[in-house]
Amino acid sequence: MKRSSNYLGFYAAPALMGLSMACATIPPALEQARQNYQQMQQDPQVAARAPVASYEANQALRRTEQAWEQTSDEDEVKHLAYLTNRRVEIARETAQQKAAEAEAQQLKLEREKVLLETRTREAERAKQLAESRAREVQIAQQEAEARARESQEAQRKALAATDRAAELEKRFAELKAKQTDRGFELTLSDVLFEFDKTTLKAGSARSLAKITEFLRENPQRQITIEGYTDNVGSDTYNLELSQRRAEAVRDFLVQNGISADRITARGLGEEYPVASNETEAGRQQNRRVQIIIVDEKGRAG
Amino acid sequence: MHTKYGFSFWLIPFVLAILGVTGCSTVAPPKDRMAAAELALQEANKSKAPQYAPLELRMAADKLDEAKRAMNKEEYILARRLAEEALVDAQLAEAKAASEDARRAASDLRQSLETLRREAERSSRGG
Repeated sequence: MKRSSNYLGFYAAPALMGLSMACATIPPALEQARQNYQQMQQDPQVAARAPVASYEANQALRRTEQAWEQTSDEDEVKHLAYLTNRRVEIARETAQQKAAEAEAQQLKLEREKVLLETRTREAERAKQLAESRAREVQIAQQEAEARARESQEAQRKALAATDRAAELEKRFAELKAKQTDRGFELTLSDVLFEFDKTTLKAGSARSLAKITEFLRENPQRQITIEGYTDNVGSDTYNLELSQRRAEAVRDFLVQNGISADRITARGLGEEYPVASNETEAGRQQNRRVQIIIVDEKGRAG
Repeated sequence: MHTKYGFSFWLIPFVLAILGVTGCSTVAPPKDRMAAAELALQEANKSKAPQYAPLELRMAADKLDEAKRAMNKEEYILARRLAEEALVDAQLAEAKAASEDARRAASDLRQSLETLRREAERSSRGG
């Protein structure tokens, strides 16, 4: 036993010496592999994007460490360190590849988005263009319709005016009225009155029937009734006579349903003769009642 | 003399010597490593590695050749190491090529997106 403890010490001494030497001088290749691996580990991208390659690098480093601890075979350690370094590089490259692929994926999505936005915008613009064109067409149509309506209306008015004018003309013609500056003038000669009388003759109703009818049909029309005489008798007398004759005609019309507001009656006596008072025929023409037809505003026509 | 050291004194170096000899002689030809390296190199050659990582590829090929020569000389430990190194070189070549390829693809996409954005901006301004 004593001997055996001796020779065990004989072998243990160089073995311990070798071990302590090995611990003291770590091969630079192993040192480099450790550093490379640690740097790789500090990059969170590598762990996240290349977990398998990282694991393989870790395994390679562990085999290197084990070889160094167990055999101290420097060639083998150097070889395993080389493998570790390569595995670290592979992990880095793989992480970069995955990062680039992720970026490409993101870029593709963004491109789709931009394309979609562009298409949407183009469609929107086309729609707006179409809508504005449709609006323009609609406005043009409406304008055309309005113009057509206006021209129709104008035509209708013109026709109506023509009709009215024609109608009036016809009526005036029936009344034997003449158009003058003052309006339509209608002269009723002395058939209405006896000499020096102010009451209407029995047959006058027929003569006045047409003007009565006209006034009923054209309620906006107003009339002025003017009485005239010949030069027989005094001026004052003739003035009063003509006034009363005009009023007699007015009263007849009022009795026949024409508003008194529409009628002005005045006597103008022997002034304004239309013929010579030298002859009986002329005097007869001068003894007259004139009816002037104006519109509601007193205008001629 | 022969009684000075007992049987057990000689036993340890003897066993170590036997182990050493048989240890060397039991190193088998690393056929699996050779095959793996060969396969890795073929894969790398099929990838874009010849274009993007020619140096690593060349190193892998050279090491595989060396490994084959070592095999012929029955230097199996050397052959194994060379084959293992050829394998990681080939794999690194492939990884480098793949990452370069992905970076280029991303860069192309970035440019096309930029162009698209400029066009979209121009057309939206142009009205």
